Amino acid sequence: MKTSIVLGAIAITAVAAGGIAWQAGLLPHVSMVGARAQDADAKPKQFVPPPDSAIPNDKFGEEVKMGEQIFREPAIHAAQFVGNQLRCSNCHLQAGRQAGAAPMWAAYVSYPAYRSKNGHVNSFEERLQGCFLYSMNGKAPKLGDPVLVALESYAYFLAKGLPTGEKPEGRGYPALPKPALPADYARGGQVYAQKCAACHGAQGLGQSSGGKVVFPALWGPQSFNWGAGMGSIKHAAEFIHANMPLGLGYSLTPQQSWDVATYMDSQLRPQDPRFTGDVAKTRATFHNSPTSMYGQTVNGAMLGDPATTPPFGTVAAGTEGTASPDEAN
Amino acid sequence: MFAANDWTRAPSACLLVVMKIRPHPAAAAGLLGLLSFTQAHGSDATIAAGRKIALLGSAPERPGCASCHLLNGAGQPDVGIPRLAGLTSSYIMAQLGYFAAGTRHNVAMAPYAVSLSAAQKQEAADYFASLPVPVSLDQPVPAADVAAHGRALFLEGDYRTGVLACSQCHGSTGAGVGDFSPRLAGQSAAYVEDELKQWHGGAMRDPHGAYMQAEARNLSETDIQALAAYVAAMRLADNVAAISKEKQTP
Repeated sequence: MKTSIVLGAIAITAVAAGGIAWQAGLLPHVSMVGARAQDADAKPKQFVPPPDSAIPNDKFGEEVKMGEQIFREPAIHAAQFVGNQLRCSNCHLQAGRQAGAAPMWAAYVSYPAYRSKNGHVNSFEERLQGCFLYSMNGKAPKLGDPVLVALESYAYFLAKGLPTGEKPEGRGYPALPKPALPADYARGGQVYAQKCAACHGAQGLGQSSGGKVVFPALWGPQSFNWGAGMGSIKHAAEFIHANMPLGLGYSLTPQQSWDVATYMDSQLRPQDPRFTGDVAKTRATFHNSPTSMYGQTVNGAMLGDPATTPPFGTVAAGTEGTASPDEAN
Repeated sequence: MFAANDWTRAPSACLLVVMKIRPHPAAAAGLLGLLSFTQAHGSDATIAAGRKIALLGSAPERPGCASCHLLNGAGQPDVGIPRLAGLTSSYIMAQLGYFAAGTRHNVAMAPYAVSLSAAQKQEAADYFASLPVPVSLDQPVPAADVAAHGRALFLEGDYRTGVLACSQCHGSTGAGVGDFSPRLAGQSAAYVEDELKQWHGGAMRDPHGAYMQAEARNLSETDIQALAAYVAAMRLADNVAAISKEKQTP
């Protein structure tokens, strides 16, 4: 079945131009941070977060290290809040250090901030809660929980020297121009088969090695839920264009990125934790956008239908957490 | 079921039997695209036929694979002849295809790969893929600082130079993932160093090489040597311990 939808996109020319500069070489650039001398003048000065060797040898340093461990292996170090097989570092590449892959140093200096999504000013900690609730399909740690303190310490450490209140270059994902053609599920499926399936699997369920997940699940019960930021086709297309396939960022065209993001975000994934009990009502309240696939019918199944949708918040029984359905990642 | 020794006693007769009962290689479908992830395990018959090729070669004038890679697939790490045991059948099959087509340039392997039929490639690949991973006893232990540098690059990469963690594709135990990324743990350091240098120098090495080319271009000479030493020294026992620890985690 072919599902075509028109996608709106805001082309922010300054950032888009930066993105093009990265494509200047014959070979795709691996990293925005890994600036080499020959193209140093082609892009704005990029903040470089400190290395692990700069972590202080004291109590605060211990928090930073724990934060980085949680970031790399949340299912091991924050198991009680994690409901899937994803890692923070799956999307925040280089463990939250890489520009253009939602780096934590840029996020840290961007909070507190008002978010229209929940209608109030969010602290950085509250923002982290959203990651667990949606992207990790888990439960939000309570404010002040050691897991949040460690993650906040790590982000604070990475942001050393960065001014607050100014959107640093490399924040979030680079803006992507609107596609020439409406994003298309069927074309996206072809892109997926050619460029993504070798790692993420034909069924999007990821791949493991030696009992350990290597390539993350892009949909299905072990992936992010319907409330996550990556469930937004626009965000997903921006991330994919700049960063995927891993190591070959900017090798897909904007059109391919929009198409394959549409394909990925038209699959079955865990329920939105804000589910009201009614798909149409949930769509109207939380997914009221022409680009959201929630509540749409794809391949004969309505996305979000409780009959076919894996549950949200699937952490092990007996764990603590206050899940306030506030905002998506 | 045939005991491996049967082939050395009566190879020609047995080969005919094998050719008749050999199932259609399921891996062929996977080579058409990259959509097949379950490795096609060779049957007893293809494995046994592959063992014969490894021992005796595909033709009288061609020595068997074992002449260089050894019959247990351990290779000769010190001179850069890679270990084949532990690689998947599909990976070996793909490389043989690349050698034969010249899309992976290797003067030593090309004539051998050209001489093998598609069925023989599959048999040789199935044989080496069926072998247990040998525990390397003769791999040199890298100096502590070299090992630490290699380990950090392997597990975490380096955001300052754009190096991605090797573990992101090869797994943190270096065991490789399905058809996509080969096992590195215990591979010959000299071989790994040579391959990384090819990619670093801008060669594609093989049609699948864009990923490694992009990765290796950001590696320095020191990085390459540290990584090669680190992966060569990754022990099976360490891998098993890491996996066991992982499984205990809720």
